[in-house]
Amino acid sequence: MTLEIEHVTSGYIKEVPILMDVNIVANQGSLTGIIGPNGAGKSTLLKTIYGYLRPSQGDIFHDGKSIRGLKPDQMLGQGIAHLIQGHSVFPAMTVEENLELGGWIIKHDRKTLDRALDEVYQHYPLLKSKRRMVAGALSGGEQRTLEIARLTMTHPRTILIDEPSVGLMPKLVDTVYEEIVKLKELGYTILIVDQKVHKCLDVVDYIYVLRLGQNSHHGPKEDFVNTIEDVIKEWI
Amino acid sequence: MNILASPQRGMNTSRYIKLALVLAFLIAVPWLWRENRFITTVFISALMFGIWGVMYDLQIGYGGLINFGFAGFICAGAYGSALAAHHYEINPWFCLLIGAVASGLLGFLTGIVTLRLKGIFVGLATWFLAEVLRLTISNTPEYTRGMLGLAVKPLPDVFGLDFSRAALLPYYYLLLILVIIIFAMAALMVNSKIGLSFKAIREDQLATETLGLSTTKYKLINFTTACFFTGLIGAFYAHYIGILTPDPTEFGVPRTVEVLTVAYVGGRGTLWGSILAAFLLIGFQEYFRQLGAWRLVMYGALLITVMIYAPKGLSTIRKYIW
Amino acid sequence: MDLSIFIQLIVLGLVRGSMYALMGVGLSLIFGIMEIVNFAHGELFMIGCYIMYFMAAMLGLPFPLGILASGVGLLIVGVILEKGLISPLRKKAGREWLMDSFVLTIGLMVIFQNLALIIFGSVQRGIPYLVAGQSTFGDVVFIYDHLVILSLAFLTVGLLWYFIKYTSLGKAIRATSQHSEAAQTLGIDVSRMYAVAFGIGAALAGISGALLITLFPANPNAGMGPVLKSFVVVILGGLGNIKGAIAAGILVGLLEAFAVFYLAGGWQNVIVFSVVIAVLVFKPAGLFAPAGERP
Repeated sequence: MTLEIEHVTSGYIKEVPILMDVNIVANQGSLTGIIGPNGAGKSTLLKTIYGYLRPSQGDIFHDGKSIRGLKPDQMLGQGIAHLIQGHSVFPAMTVEENLELGGWIIKHDRKTLDRALDEVYQHYPLLKSKRRMVAGALSGGEQRTLEIARLTMTHPRTILIDEPSVGLMPKLVDTVYEEIVKLKELGYTILIVDQKVHKCLDVVDYIYVLRLGQNSHHGPKEDFVNTIEDVIKEWI
Repeated sequence: MNILASPQRGMNTSRYIKLALVLAFLIAVPWLWRENRFITTVFISALMFGIWGVMYDLQIGYGGLINFGFAGFICAGAYGSALAAHHYEINPWFCLLIGAVASGLLGFLTGIVTLRLKGIFVGLATWFLAEVLRLTISNTPEYTRGMLGLAVKPLPDVFGLDFSRAALLPYYYLLLILVIIIFAMAALMVNSKIGLSFKAIREDQLATETLGLSTTKYKLINFTTACFFTGLIGAFYAHYIGILTPDPTEFGVPRTVEVLTVAYVGGRGTLWGSILAAFLLIGFQEYFRQLGAWRLVMYGALLITVMIYAPKGLSTIRKYIW
Repeated sequence: MDLSIFIQLIVLGLVRGSMYALMGVGLSLIFGIMEIVNFAHGELFMIGCYIMYFMAAMLGLPFPLGILASGVGLLIVGVILEKGLISPLRKKAGREWLMDSFVLTIGLMVIFQNLALIIFGSVQRGIPYLVAGQSTFGDVVFIYDHLVILSLAFLTVGLLWYFIKYTSLGKAIRATSQHSEAAQTLGIDVSRMYAVAFGIGAALAGISGALLITLFPANPNAGMGPVLKSFVVVILGGLGNIKGAIAAGILVGLLEAFAVFYLAGGWQNVIVFSVVIAVLVFKPAGLFAPAGERP
């Protein structure tokens, strides 16, 4: 499922646009990364795609269909899921309850939900062994795994990930990126917004650089491998 | 709340004139209608609630402290003064000061005990404290006469003025003097360095603390001062009204709600807003007296409307009149 | 004291305690999920009283219908209030949400109390009993009313417990209170959750009012006592702590029953409130919170 952001201008207040005429294409089955200095508008971009902000201009297409202005449950219905920054498990609920809530929009279809749960337990045996544990008692890395697993409950086809490594201990950061690569191998289309430029570069297929709310460079990963240091220097 | 200068801060000629007009209004109208006892009582009520609103505003608008037991401090001042006069035969003029000190002391102790609590908890703690005070008075009728009512002697005549409550005018002008003094002190306080600290604390307590400012000290100053003056007017109230009972409508939640409404409708963080709001609300209330309970329904509706649609209260029209 | 009086005080304490628990749970629920300190909670109780009176005394319907009507009626009232007034305020308020919403509920309290006064007058409208009669075991007299109230209150809390813990809507509400942003990304309609939560809190107050009409007749000020006590319960139990509210409710009910027996009426309130102030100062997260926890 291809995600296309076309000529999007967006911001928190109408008079002050943060994104200006941004264009991004995340091809089906690929891992696309968006990098840029602080204040470039990366979070704003994700919020706009996911409907928290309305673009004043431009449109967003998923699989050819406009998803502009859709609410989160509709987004999930179209197969787009969103992983927010930082910790997002429900700390006082069990692992299993967290996962079940991941299937909120299909909760009326018990059989599908149960099947999704089984699949998750197959892919993530760690979570299965801790299914009755309260999510807040899991370690940071385990919580992140739970968050990602929870995301897959509705079998979305496209996933938006906001700063996957924020709040994690350095040694756990690698594990998270491994999980993300695994997702890609399962065929998901993934759009990542990331501060950790090098880590991001390692795993992505395609990169967009965002600066001051506008497209800067973009290209396949290979284009950036050697020049990335210069790109970063430009930001300072 | 702008820490930096709002447009045209401070006084200028046109503002002095407007202030003079307001004072002239407050001085002249009751005099011109001095035969009309009703007008005098309305003005007294309006001024009392006005200055109480100012004190409430000082606490919430400048100190960020929600004092849901406000009526308790009025109570402390009223009963403090009345009991001192009743049991110890002290000159009631001096008792006014005793009432103020009683309330101020209570405020100080309350402050010490509650100020490190988060906002809403201060409100809950002060609410219960006021109830404890009120119920204690109610339960000790041997000393306070409880619900039977404590008769309070009028202030003794001074300077040839008759304070016997035959005519209420002297009470009004006494109140006016007190209100002018209290208001001036409050205004000086909030415009001084202390006031800047209040605003800083209100805006961001954590940041202020990292700057080295003792937020507790300033909150305590704010709270105690407001309680002191609240009690002073409470003491005035006792000798003016002549009878005290620890009824909830006098010194319980309904009373606090009346003051709170005045402060909110006037605009938190403005001081003067409360005076204006009190005159409008009390005037309104007297005009619609026959409506009975509908009056209070309107109060509630007004409060809700202000909260949702006009959080700055009357001060939103400030730029048109000042 | 002799056993029969002891047992009767216990029963009485439990009966009042169950009301406090119901009110406290509703209040704590509303605080835990929406961060609102609902000063109008007593008025929701009062409306419940009137609905019950209307159904059971005026229409003569069996009392369980009255209780059900109160619950459903207050559920609707709660949802309307949330959608009509609280939501708009939430959109406007920033950091001052706790205090602003508190003042909003104060306004609601004033309106409801005085509207009730206007519409119904200050006449107390009571019902003598839900179930007539009593039985005596030895020296102890058990009034059926009390037993009925107790069991229905128990049932209500049990139903609520089941709902919150095991139904998907209940789980969604819990999730919203724990991490509303994450809940949103999973497709949960957060504003609907708030409305339902407030509705449930209101329904609990309404059921409480209906259940206790034999002890607290319907009148405009019916809510004033219960609201004070519910706040006591909720502070002791910890704001947002449902289990704590139940425990504290029963505790307060029992303490009250025994205190009234030994002390004059006015003083037991002074003592209870003083304890509350002490708890607020030293253990703001409630008696049952782990040491050092700050709300």
